[in-house]
Amino acid sequence: MLEVKDIHKSYSGNEILKGVSLKVEKGDIIVILGPSGSGKTTLLRCLNFLERAEKGSIDFDGIHTEFKSATGHQINEIRKRTGFVFQNYNLFANKTALQNVTEGLIVARKVPKKEAVDRAKQALDKVGLSDRYDYYPSQLSGGQQQRVGIARAIAVNPDVILFDEPTSALDPELVGEVLNVMKSLAEEGATMVVVTHEMGFAQDVASRVVFMDGGTIVEEGTPHEIFSRPRDPRTIQFLRRILREDYEYSI
Amino acid sequence: MKLNTDFMIKTFLAALKGIPVTLEITVVTLLLSAPIAFFMALKRLHKKGIGSRITAGYVSFVRGTPIVLQILFLYSLLPSLLNYLLNRVLELDFDVFGVPPILYAFAVFGLNTTAVLSEVFRSALLTVGHGQMEAAISVGLSRRQAYLRIIIPQAMVSALPNICNTTVNLLKSTSLAFMMTVKDIMAIAKVQAAYGYNYIEAYLVVLLIYILLCTLVQLLFKAVERYLSSYKKLVTC
Repeated sequence: MLEVKDIHKSYSGNEILKGVSLKVEKGDIIVILGPSGSGKTTLLRCLNFLERAEKGSIDFDGIHTEFKSATGHQINEIRKRTGFVFQNYNLFANKTALQNVTEGLIVARKVPKKEAVDRAKQALDKVGLSDRYDYYPSQLSGGQQQRVGIARAIAVNPDVILFDEPTSALDPELVGEVLNVMKSLAEEGATMVVVTHEMGFAQDVASRVVFMDGGTIVEEGTPHEIFSRPRDPRTIQFLRRILREDYEYSI
Repeated sequence: MKLNTDFMIKTFLAALKGIPVTLEITVVTLLLSAPIAFFMALKRLHKKGIGSRITAGYVSFVRGTPIVLQILFLYSLLPSLLNYLLNRVLELDFDVFGVPPILYAFAVFGLNTTAVLSEVFRSALLTVGHGQMEAAISVGLSRRQAYLRIIIPQAMVSALPNICNTTVNLLKSTSLAFMMTVKDIMAIAKVQAAYGYNYIEAYLVVLLIYILLCTLVQLLFKAVERYLSSYKKLVTC
């Protein structure tokens, strides 16, 4: 359904992505792991053109284009069929939870207001916020804000939802509520690409785990393959460090 | 020394007639400046092309010169220059000196306020995180829609205290309009004072009127700010 080939992206001469290819099938839950600076987030942002890749091609459900020569129309089409969940939620501060969700429906997709409100309420119900429709972001906790962010992304019925470290900015005790919402979305058959550091989520929910380092994909496979029998030394080292840190703290 | 209270009351009543002129200069200047300043702020934020540099130069020039000097140049030198250019060089029959002085006031204060407001708007737009723009784009809004519906409404709220500041400063600097023979509060009081050398009384009256006007402006802005920032309210439970 979504396939990108050979993405290259650099910032002021510093190459962040060095030829990454990724294929996403309908219903896939792809979790991208990797140390910071490995290009995970950049890859995700290139997928819906928040960053413009310098080289590479994208195939999205019938739309085929080089990143470089994509037209505004193609970019819009791709954006309208993807949902994006940000690390810092990025909710519209001047809109209520409900308005945050209806904005993309009413303004961008011209859905009639009544239908948009119904769909937005459904989305908010799904993330467990049926009692927070009229709250402004400043009145919500981080976990609630991120769940509004997820509702905003799913309300437009996207073909694929992109999650950019959705729990990294949250207090530890609020991480669970967001992960649970993501898990139930996965169980309903949503197609998701998730950049995260939550190893438990990767192990339980992912259909495929992709390990990135230094701007390339080092290794990919089922969670079992990656976590139990990692082959590449960089994967082994990363997992050892991360999983050990789950138990040990040194001050 | 004894203050001439009769004179003060008389001057007060006379100077009140200058309030509409003062307010007219203030309001017209703001209405002229705000859209241009906003456009300039956007140009500078995108840092692209020559527009951004011209704007930066203009702002720097206007901020770096005393307003009195600007008045002297614009009101005293410009008409003579224009007269020479239009009537001698181009041989048009245009009465430069018949232009109502208040138009010069609009021009001088407009030039200043545009520069100040463009910086006010620029910093206000910067207070709204880039993330919200990205989020708007990611749900399918165009940049224009994102600006109109998400960024600008929030930027305006954070700009309000500074716009209030600019307005009060503008209102006070319109007292220099008397230099351009505009009959505002200051000009009227000065004329009254000149009859019997009651300058101290006249200035006290002017001071009182400006304090009243500026206080009103500040109260007005406070009310607008409270109304517009309702989304910032926090739960207190």
